[in-house]
Amino acid sequence: MAFFIKRGSKKYPYITARVRAMKSKLMPREVYPKLMNMDIAEITRFIEESEYKENVDELAQQYNDIDLFEHALNQNLARTYRKLQRISRDEPNYLITEYLRHWDIWNIKTILRGKNYGADLEEILDTVVAAGQLGYRQLTEIAGMNSIEDIKAALDLTPYYPVIEDYDGAMLSDVENNLDKLYYSRLLASLGSTKAEKLSLKFIRTEIDIKNLKTLFRTKKADLDKTIIFELLIPGGIEIKTADLNKLASLQWSDFLKALEDYSYWSELSDVVSAEMDSLKDMEAVLDKYALAFASKISHYYPLSILPIFDYMLNKELEVRNIRTIVRGKEAQLADETIRKQLVI
Amino acid sequence: MVDISIADATVEQIIANQKGLVAIGAGLAVGLSGIASGIAEKDIGAAAVGAMAEREELFAKGLILTVIPETIVIFGLVIAILLIFM
Repeated sequence: MAFFIKRGSKKYPYITARVRAMKSKLMPREVYPKLMNMDIAEITRFIEESEYKENVDELAQQYNDIDLFEHALNQNLARTYRKLQRISRDEPNYLITEYLRHWDIWNIKTILRGKNYGADLEEILDTVVAAGQLGYRQLTEIAGMNSIEDIKAALDLTPYYPVIEDYDGAMLSDVENNLDKLYYSRLLASLGSTKAEKLSLKFIRTEIDIKNLKTLFRTKKADLDKTIIFELLIPGGIEIKTADLNKLASLQWSDFLKALEDYSYWSELSDVVSAEMDSLKDMEAVLDKYALAFASKISHYYPLSILPIFDYMLNKELEVRNIRTIVRGKEAQLADETIRKQLVI
Repeated sequence: MVDISIADATVEQIIANQKGLVAIGAGLAVGLSGIASGIAEKDIGAAAVGAMAEREELFAKGLILTVIPETIVIFGLVIAILLIFM
C-alpha cells in the first residue's frame, strides 16, 4: 500500500499552512486560568461561543450538562481529525490516516472495557471518539452488541482482528496491550525512508518512550513482577530501547529512579519525581508537557513536513482533554490547585 | 541553410546576427526568470490558499506574499528591456 503513495514534499505547503491557521484558532493558554474561575454554566456559555459552537448546538437537544460537554468535545475532536484526512492528499494523508488508527484502538478498548464491566451504551458512547477508520455509526452499532462474538465478527475485516480473535471475555488487559503493540508496530513498519517519514518516526518513537515511562512509573509503584511489566511495554522507543526497558523493568523503585537519570527525560522529571512520591499525576502531566514542547520544537525545525500536522493533532487532543479536566474537576468540586496541576499547557 | 563565414559577411549581416543573439538572450532572461518565479509562487500560493481557507482575513497578506517572487521575473524583464533597447 505504502508503495503506491506519491512521496515527497510537494503536497505539504497547502496542508501545513492550513493546519497552522487551524492551530491559531485553538484556545490560547491564557484562557485556561479564566476558565478555572468560571462555574460550569459560565464555561458552557464560553464553549458555546467558541469553536465548539456547532457541536454544542447540534447535540444540545440530545444531551444535558456534562454529557453535552463530553459529546460535543469528542465530536469536535473527531470532526477535526476527519477534516485533516479530507484536506490532505498522498503522503500526508497516508501518514495522518496511519496515525489516527490510534483512535480505533482507543474505541475498541473502550467498547471491550465497557462490555467487560457491564456499562450501558450511553456510557460507552460518552468516551468514543470516531476519528479513526471506524465511523461513529459503526461504533454505535458495535457498542450496542451484547456478545463478544458479535463484536469480533463486526471487526473481522479490520487490521485489529488478529489481536481480538482469541478474546473470550477474560484477560482484557492482554488484548489491550496487544492492540497497543499492534498499533505501534504497524505504524513503525508503515513508515519508509523518505525524509518526512523519518521525521514522523522521530516523533512517534518519542511518543513510545513517553508512554513506556508512564507505564514503568505506574507498574513500579504498584510493585508488579518484572515479566508482567515487560509485557506491558511497547518496543521501538527512540532513547529507551528494548534492552533498556528490560533493565528498567527489573530494577527496584529507588534504583529505577536512579537509572532514569541517564536519560534526557530526567531533566523534566527531576522536579516532580522522588522516592517518596505518592501521586503519579504530576509526573504524567510533566511528560505530556514535554511531548507537547517536543512536538512544537521539531515542527519548527521542519516546517514543510508532517510534523506541524502531528503537532496540531497533539495540541487539539490536549485542548479537549484540558477543557474536560476543568469541567470534570469543577463538577467533582476539586480544589483549583488540583485541577491546575492536571492541565497540560 | 546558407553558409556564411564571418570573413565574407557584410556589416549588415553581422549586425542582424548580433540582434538575433540579443533577442534570444532577452527571451531567455524573461522565460527562465518566469519559470523560476512560477516555481517559487507555486508553494507560496498553495500555502496562502490553505491559510485563507481557515482564516479569510489572511487574504491580503497571502496575496502579497504570493506575488513577492514576481520580482524575479521583473528583474528578468528589466534585463530583457536593457538588452533590446540599449
